[in-house]
Amino acid sequence: MLRSVFAKTLYDQRRGLPAWAIGLVLLAAMYVAIWPSMRGQPSMAEFVEQMPEAFRALFTMSGADMSTPVGYIQVELMSFMGPLLLLLYAINVGTAAVAGEEERRTLDLLLSTPVGRGRIVVEKLGAMVVGTVLLAAVLGVALLAEGRLADMDLPAGNVAAAMLHMTLLALVFGALALAIGAIVGRPAPARAVPAVVAVLAYLVNGLGPIVSWLRPWQKVSPFYQYAGHDPLRNGVSTAGVVVSVGTVAVLTVIAVLGFRRRDVGS
Amino acid sequence: MGLLRPTDGTAAVLDMNAWTQAVQVHRRVGYVPGELALYDRLSGREHVSYLGHLRGRPAEAAAGALADRLDLDLNQRARTLSKGNRQKLALVLALMSAPELLILDEPTGGLDPFVQQEFYAILREHTAAGGTVLLSSHVLSEVDAVADRVGVLREGRLIAVEDLPSLREKSLHHVVARFADPVAPDVFANLPGVRDVVVDGATLHCSAPQSALDTLVKVVARYRIVDFQCAEAGLEETFMTFYGIGGGNAA
Repeated sequence: MLRSVFAKTLYDQRRGLPAWAIGLVLLAAMYVAIWPSMRGQPSMAEFVEQMPEAFRALFTMSGADMSTPVGYIQVELMSFMGPLLLLLYAINVGTAAVAGEEERRTLDLLLSTPVGRGRIVVEKLGAMVVGTVLLAAVLGVALLAEGRLADMDLPAGNVAAAMLHMTLLALVFGALALAIGAIVGRPAPARAVPAVVAVLAYLVNGLGPIVSWLRPWQKVSPFYQYAGHDPLRNGVSTAGVVVSVGTVAVLTVIAVLGFRRRDVGS
Repeated sequence: MGLLRPTDGTAAVLDMNAWTQAVQVHRRVGYVPGELALYDRLSGREHVSYLGHLRGRPAEAAAGALADRLDLDLNQRARTLSKGNRQKLALVLALMSAPELLILDEPTGGLDPFVQQEFYAILREHTAAGGTVLLSSHVLSEVDAVADRVGVLREGRLIAVEDLPSLREKSLHHVVARFADPVAPDVFANLPGVRDVVVDGATLHCSAPQSALDTLVKVVARYRIVDFQCAEAGLEETFMTFYGIGGGNAA
């Protein structure tokens, strides 16, 4: 179980990960349970129509129809709660990776072994990828399985695509947390900066279409890579995947270079 | 240990650059930091397994033997260990993969005397097998028990490196002699090495390194003595006397 930094990082989450997974299964169950009272309710669509344009832009994606399963899940789960939880997980894990160990001073112990700093960063990132993929998979499977029970038919392929994009979204911010932790060595900024950036990116993506000066920035937002092409309807966006993976790769390189250059401890 | 980047110059361990070749250095060095930290949620055995794997040299058997000698239970989680037991675990982790060089920063804090003796015995076995130990300590008796050569650090600078016998020659003694009759101070003041001479009627107070004791005692013996005390000063005082003011740190 403790054969490598990667394995140990996952082993540390042997209680945390199942707890997160149960939480996500319950979350999906909650939305599925509410679904029968929402289905076929044109008033819901009207309700959405009546919201101020800015609200609608923030909480829905490109004209979702809440009376259909896809539209409902899109608005309720995919636009806010799902990404929020996955982001929290990834940012937490990214913060714990270097900054957390440094605060608990166990980083000294780890760095006294013949494992290079770059390798530590990469293995910790690997554990974060595995954890995030697992959670997104659990959420996707729970949504499909529980949805079937409630007669809420979702296209499995597109749910998988949405989960892939949600995973990448979370990983971008998790990698940012890891990079800041690796460079600065303190958990507070490693947690706070990605959180603030995520809120800004969310707003930029949501308000981009209706605020003209934000529009050029919309495509830069990781939330645009995640949902700009509406994965629940249109499947995987190659461009979105490439940009997200590229962002994670760049952040990892920055993390490794920053971590290698700096003093640890005392 | 390659944790801090040199602000100036270079540091070498076993002829390897401590910063750029840290990974190679770590393969051959066992390290116990002064402020040690362990993974609270892992047991001793899990620490052994993890660090053994990271060093590419699983050492369960060696660690078990060391833990027995130091009387440490490897099944407990680090969080539940006492300070002394945490220290023992850190020692086991540093020693288990039989590194060439051991770097130990104040390694015996919190250990009871019996375990300390066992630990010194382990260190002597290590050096007898050709290994090297770099041990930092503020405790004279510890340095006395294990060191062959002593370096003195002051304010970050290595100000002296001496072998133990020559350090012992310098170890300061406080001498108090009460005579039957008053004595003249200048008889003692001019003896080589003797310092802080104060004569108060028939009583002499002075300090002298071990090497000067012979002469001093012979001069004292010329007079009729009522009482005589000679106490060895602490390591710190010896250092403060010979190397100027500041905390001594012997390695």
